[in-house]
Amino acid sequence: MPMYQVKPVFGVDVKINLPTCMYKLQNIHAQGSASGCSEHALQNGGTEVDPAFRDLEARQDEIMRRLYELKAAVDGLAKTVTTPDADLDQTVTSLSQSPTAFRGTADLDSLLGKDLGALRDIVINANPARPPLTLLVLHAMLCHRYRVLSSVHVHSSLSGVPAQLLSCLGPRHTDSYVRQSFQLGFTLIWKDVPKLQMKFSIQNMCPIEGEANVARFLFRLIAPYPSDPTLATLVDSWVDTAFFQLAEGSAKERSAVLSALNSALGRDPWLAGPEFSLADIACYCCVLQTGPASSSPANVQRWLKACENLGHFGPAHPLLQ
Amino acid sequence: MTKDGVQGAVEEADQAPSKKGLKKQQKEAEKVAKKAEKQAKLAADQHSTDDDDFAKDRYGVPPMVQSQQKLDRGLVRVQELTPEKAGRLIWVRARIHTSRAKGKQCFLVLRQQQFNVQALVAVGERASKQMVKFAANINKESIVDVEAVVRKVEQKIESCSQQDVELHIERIFVISQAEPRLPLQLEDCVRPEGEGDEDGRATVNQDTRLDNRVIDLRTTTSQAIFRLQSGVCQLFRDTLTNKGFVEIQTPKIISAASEGGANVFTVSYFKTSAYLAQSPQLYKQMCICADFDKVFCVGPVFRAEDSNTHRHLTEFVGLDIELTFNYHYHEVIESITDTMVQIFKGLGDKFQTEIQTVGKQYPSEKFKFLEPTLRLEYREGVAMLREAGVEMGDEEDLSTPNEKLLGRLVKEKYDTDFYVLDKYPLAVRPFYTMPDPNDKKYSNSYDMFMRGEEILSGAQRIHDAQLLTERAIYHNIDLEKIKSYIDAFRYGAPPHGGGGIGLERVCMLYLGLHNVRQTSMFPRDPKRLTP
Repeated sequence: MPMYQVKPVFGVDVKINLPTCMYKLQNIHAQGSASGCSEHALQNGGTEVDPAFRDLEARQDEIMRRLYELKAAVDGLAKTVTTPDADLDQTVTSLSQSPTAFRGTADLDSLLGKDLGALRDIVINANPARPPLTLLVLHAMLCHRYRVLSSVHVHSSLSGVPAQLLSCLGPRHTDSYVRQSFQLGFTLIWKDVPKLQMKFSIQNMCPIEGEANVARFLFRLIAPYPSDPTLATLVDSWVDTAFFQLAEGSAKERSAVLSALNSALGRDPWLAGPEFSLADIACYCCVLQTGPASSSPANVQRWLKACENLGHFGPAHPLLQ
Repeated sequence: MTKDGVQGAVEEADQAPSKKGLKKQQKEAEKVAKKAEKQAKLAADQHSTDDDDFAKDRYGVPPMVQSQQKLDRGLVRVQELTPEKAGRLIWVRARIHTSRAKGKQCFLVLRQQQFNVQALVAVGERASKQMVKFAANINKESIVDVEAVVRKVEQKIESCSQQDVELHIERIFVISQAEPRLPLQLEDCVRPEGEGDEDGRATVNQDTRLDNRVIDLRTTTSQAIFRLQSGVCQLFRDTLTNKGFVEIQTPKIISAASEGGANVFTVSYFKTSAYLAQSPQLYKQMCICADFDKVFCVGPVFRAEDSNTHRHLTEFVGLDIELTFNYHYHEVIESITDTMVQIFKGLGDKFQTEIQTVGKQYPSEKFKFLEPTLRLEYREGVAMLREAGVEMGDEEDLSTPNEKLLGRLVKEKYDTDFYVLDKYPLAVRPFYTMPDPNDKKYSNSYDMFMRGEEILSGAQRIHDAQLLTERAIYHNIDLEKIKSYIDAFRYGAPPHGGGGIGLERVCMLYLGLHNVRQTSMFPRDPKRLTP
């Protein structure tokens, strides 16, 4: 419903389309010419029109523009009212990146060790039967923070992989032929492995197994864990619950987890208290992998919608169908 | 002393010969008697054999096959001897792999390429004792024609490839006889290395094998290796033809050394001398300038390198590719790696039996690769090596041990045996390599590795005559010698790149073997010119 209506004095951008005109007024400015339509006369007479009318026109335009801006602002507000406050929220500021505390290579050096002059490549071996949605979401978040070179490979232990799994990391970066201009590499290899595995530095690190652990590693590259130990443990415990009981558990375990989620979300807007965290990412992906959103309790559904409004979960959607 | 004594001695002397003589005579008599006995026995035997041999026309050594007559007889392949043919009377031509006589029976194993089947000659109404004896005495490796009935067996014959049937021989003829003493035994050739040492049985060393290549190639392992090699060539041709490539043949007698002066064979060419081509490089590029767009060629390559290593030969088969690209030489890398991946996939699909057969004698890990192929930059390789403790400069070439170590590191991290190392330093590449546009230290060149060993060296080539001349001068190359090469680029040349692989090396590394001579039928190296 528009907030207030103004009767149009004369059509602002109207062309000679009779049917589209709401009502016709006799042209009070016609210069006495009887030939042609009144609209032509208006056009002809436009050059000698009183500038006052043009001012009026301009004011009309201004009012309409502000109307539309207000409409957009109200839409945004409506979303934020239903979505609890989140640090990593990006939709309110839409195109610009959220100003988090730190960014850039300096923190990569502190997190991953000294740069040896070569691309720091994170290698993830995953089984196509169980695509790691959490990691895809985290990959999208990584790409916002750093320059990431993403590539997808299929290992010879598999004969083929569905097309959507090959494009799950998004389109190839235009500069992907110059590997050294990237800060981080993200190589996803679809392979016949029993358990998801990550390899980073052969000399200093043993391979990391399990989607939960790899998710923790990747999340720390994006943002730190909450400094409060109880909160941090809560996040970890929800992550474990998501991967062990929700994704791999029996139907009874899953419904138990859903009701636990329901009660937790009744108290707080996000799973780990007031802030959006890895727990929410992990649980969102695992909940939707087990069943559609409509089959979850009320609080969970509200929380799922809130997560979607944040806009991070785009990469997971094509694989959830 | 006294005359008597002497006389006594003489008497004794007289008597002694007679004693000795008696003994001698006795011995001789015994000998004669024995001989006579033997002869009598033989005669008796022969007499009896002649008498009893009702099967005389069902075995023997017929006259040599000189195309005396055109028989319309169909021979069944050993591969096709299955329980479905049970009860049928068929003819088979195969080699005698082993024979073992036991009283009234003789067990033979007949072999045809990778397949073998058990056959039996037993004294009965169809076969006589003499026939069984004849069969047992046929030399190993002789080629025989056998008419037999196929019979199903209750217990599987584990030692043969045709485990469900055996042949009951009715007629057996030797078509081509082998000499009784073979220079090497086939079972020894096929025995895996470790096993031989444990049992105290021999394994054959490589030189003996190569000296008697004809017999060594008959083993199941060799048959499998060379069938796989034929498959590699076939897949290479098919994949490239499907991509629109044209196969070309380049000359091997050339007037100037293409890669470098040192490692080239000279031949006398009428009044002057010429060289044997070290690679088809010049001619591939000339074809590109002649608008063939995408070419490949399969042919011998001659390198006079005095390297006696496990992976060098003086003559080998080179599979070379050259193609034009639109804007970036990575298009070339993608085309070549895609071809290699198609070859690996084709080998895995169609040659599984051959791979298993080779694996029995030379066990190795399965060959793994990624699709699309992993491409690392030289810097990354150097960083990985430095992380592992190797000290090397940024523009230093990779030594063979470093290459192998890098291969292991890449295998550990990415689990692939095949990868590309891109952007090599300019200093270690030939003069016709295009330098990197942004960094003078590096070039648009790449190497591909299988199991940590280099199989392909390639690059974007310089297609501008001016730059080519500059680079040649920088490398102190005599411009006169390469004049025709530089001329090829003066009349409009498209940007192009390519690379070449060695067929023997690729087979060796795919199967996980350790010496390139195993995958070369009649290898040539600094110390071997025959067979």
